[in-house]
Amino acid sequence: MFRFLLKRLLLTLPTFFALMFVTFIMIRLVPGDPIEVRRGERGISPERLEELRREMGLDQPVWKQFGDYVWGILHGDFGTSIISKTPILHEFATLFPATLELTISAMIFAVVLGIPAGVIAASRRGGVYDQSLMGLALTGYSMPIFWWGLILILVMSNTLGLTPVSGRVDLIKFYYEPVTGFMLIDSLLSGQKGAFWDAVHHLILPTIVLGTVPLAVIARMTRSSMLEVLEEDYVRTARAKGLSTYRIIGVHALRNALIPVVTVIGLQTGGLLAGAVLTETIFSWPGVGKWLVESIGRRDYPALQGGILLISAMVIFVNLIVDLLYGLINPRIRHAK
Amino acid sequence: MKFKTLFGAALLASTMLVAGAANAKTLVYCSEGSPENFSPSMNTTGTSLDAARPVYNKLVQFTPGTTQVEPGLAESYAVSDDGKTITFKLRSGVKFHSGVNGFTPTRDLNADDVIWSFERMWKAEHPYAKVSGGSYDYFNDMSMPDLLASIEKGADDLTVVMKLNKPNAPILANLAMDFATIHSAEYAKFLMDKGAPEEFDQIPVGTGSFSFVAYQKDAVIRYKAFDGWAGKPKIDDLVYAITPDATARYAKLQANECQVMGYPNPADLAAMKQNADIRVLELAGLNIGYLAMNAQKPPFDKVEVRQAIAMAIDRDAILSEVYQGAGQKAKNPIPPTMWSYDESTVDYEYNPEKAKEMLKAAGVENLSTDIWWMPVQRPYNPNAKRMAEMMQADLAKVGINATLVSYEWGEYRKRLQAGEHQMGLLGWTGDNGDPDNFLAVLLGCNSEGKPNGQNIPKWCDADFNAAVTKAVEITDQAERTKLYQQAQKIHHAQVPWLNIAHSTVFEPIRKEVQGYKVSPLGAHEFQNVDIAE
Repeated sequence: MFRFLLKRLLLTLPTFFALMFVTFIMIRLVPGDPIEVRRGERGISPERLEELRREMGLDQPVWKQFGDYVWGILHGDFGTSIISKTPILHEFATLFPATLELTISAMIFAVVLGIPAGVIAASRRGGVYDQSLMGLALTGYSMPIFWWGLILILVMSNTLGLTPVSGRVDLIKFYYEPVTGFMLIDSLLSGQKGAFWDAVHHLILPTIVLGTVPLAVIARMTRSSMLEVLEEDYVRTARAKGLSTYRIIGVHALRNALIPVVTVIGLQTGGLLAGAVLTETIFSWPGVGKWLVESIGRRDYPALQGGILLISAMVIFVNLIVDLLYGLINPRIRHAK
Repeated sequence: MKFKTLFGAALLASTMLVAGAANAKTLVYCSEGSPENFSPSMNTTGTSLDAARPVYNKLVQFTPGTTQVEPGLAESYAVSDDGKTITFKLRSGVKFHSGVNGFTPTRDLNADDVIWSFERMWKAEHPYAKVSGGSYDYFNDMSMPDLLASIEKGADDLTVVMKLNKPNAPILANLAMDFATIHSAEYAKFLMDKGAPEEFDQIPVGTGSFSFVAYQKDAVIRYKAFDGWAGKPKIDDLVYAITPDATARYAKLQANECQVMGYPNPADLAAMKQNADIRVLELAGLNIGYLAMNAQKPPFDKVEVRQAIAMAIDRDAILSEVYQGAGQKAKNPIPPTMWSYDESTVDYEYNPEKAKEMLKAAGVENLSTDIWWMPVQRPYNPNAKRMAEMMQADLAKVGINATLVSYEWGEYRKRLQAGEHQMGLLGWTGDNGDPDNFLAVLLGCNSEGKPNGQNIPKWCDADFNAAVTKAVEITDQAERTKLYQQAQKIHHAQVPWLNIAHSTVFEPIRKEVQGYKVSPLGAHEFQNVDIAE
């Protein structure tokens, strides 16, 4: 296990370096620079522009800038945001818990509903349940996120008054300083009555919106994987042995069918960590996705470079966990060898 | 017994606290983004300036809802006869916020704070000059380094004497702008001694109506009412709920999760006006959207051609399709809410036939030209591409073939300023309500007759330039008005740019909100706001 982990970690090093390089080059290929883009109608004198470029190190040759950047990273320095002048690591650490909380919540929502839906659909192949569940899954998969979010706000918040519109906490009723950055935990730590339920309430709509696509993908994947497994000889054997359908599906088939599903869960989780931009925008969720997109608009090179690198680290970490999970689900996969 | 007493006291205290909290009046403003920092001297975006404004004051300030300058931290000021010395008398007993970031002020505001604040932007050797990047764009843009000769303490601790290199009438309006905010020199020293000077721009301490409580990036900014020199605000807590999406802001306003919102989506305005819980306040914006014609490139060097273009473009159609009712047709380069606006201007009518004749008379036939459009939405132009397309179609009717051109925003502006265009769309939002900020900045030329950087039509007219130059040097507003009206007449006759529109600013608020005023300068201010029970 240790050797497997070490090998996987070493394999990520070239990935990181390639990422650093590609991000660094790509952002510089986008027209416009961080100083000019902020100046609007006023513009800036060439002398002042030169002075500011010099102060930010942007006047240096690109290879030198890249070298300095890599050197900084190796020393744990991800740079400072050009816009807010705050260390990137600090900005990331402030925003990432919100993203993680929402991602975990959305994935729990997707897994808890998606796997049973897929299993039911597979065990009643071609029936009404199968048709309607898969129809719903297709709808969910093709739902435009922005539209879905706004419709939910309109119906659930504005019309029915069941959920708050956006944000993470009722700003009038509650005030507590973030300790962990996870609102569910911080609300409990605050000791304020009702704060936890308020935080849960705020999490409902973003969870549904962000979890809809993974839910659809997981349901469809579980179904097709289950259908494949149900054709296997050992399932036939189990049936012949007279095992109950519940036991055949729930224990024998599902465990084997889950391998590709876990892969999909890993990939989806990775996608959500960086790709929740629309959900974050609609629900004013202070996460890293929106931060990265804004950094592109502002040409905030350090924020973008550092942010992408840190997100990638998280995605690689999630994938590593998925690899480890294979072994737990199916002991035949042995990492150590 | 002792325990019981203590427990009882704690219970009473907590009950009072809860009761206090329940009675506290909180106003939530749905803002559109996170500030870059909390020092107005370093910011140029409305979002950042809005976030710092509750905390700070300036020597002079704009009367809410207007561009009139009134006393702020200076209770009075006097300008010398030669216009080169301004003496400010500071209010006495002005307190700074206490308890923010562990700082407790030991003294009231005095001249040292004023001098410290200006010198930070002005003098490279100032201990805070380079802190947080040290870029003071507005101070430089308003030509303060050229204008200022000295800022010194006067006869006493509450007198500040500002000396100028030359008389400058708009300087008081400049000093009412956010960049001229007065900071606490004592707080700066406190942080320097603590070894954390960068906190100065992240955790603000000022004299304003609200003291800073907390900021969470992309989520919320909290302030609490401060009983300072201007009196205690009517609300107890002010909260900025950072809500980047305009539709989500409106949904929050409907759900009473916020009571004031900025920058509504134009498509939502009709529904907002129908909503009984919401009032939509509106004000003519202090801005201008225009089509510049490059007077240094033929055939736009001929005034007849520029006039013909003015008559060839159907601006009423643009107003209805591009602005969708959220703008008014412009006949002067300054907005009608600005003093010195020339009411007597008779606008060019839409007359393509006459335009054709004028072009023919000017010897212009089968002209191929370009129209540049900016790739971003601006307050004065909600859709430059559509506007350019409409203009292209109008010009085709008079025999002009125009190609549409655009670049990335920074690149676009740079190339326009370099004069690469023949015709280009741009505009301006006023900074300080002074006509100089439009007429001289956008259409002025230097002493050698070369257009200023912001002069996009690249047009220099000696009479126009003489009028706007002279108007800066005299303080009598009636005299200045005459000069600016003369300049507007020259602009109308010469048409260096075609005035298109002044957009309207809309601000939806909950009906319970009282005393909120829309600022023509785009500021969002809450010191006089109340919420009806």
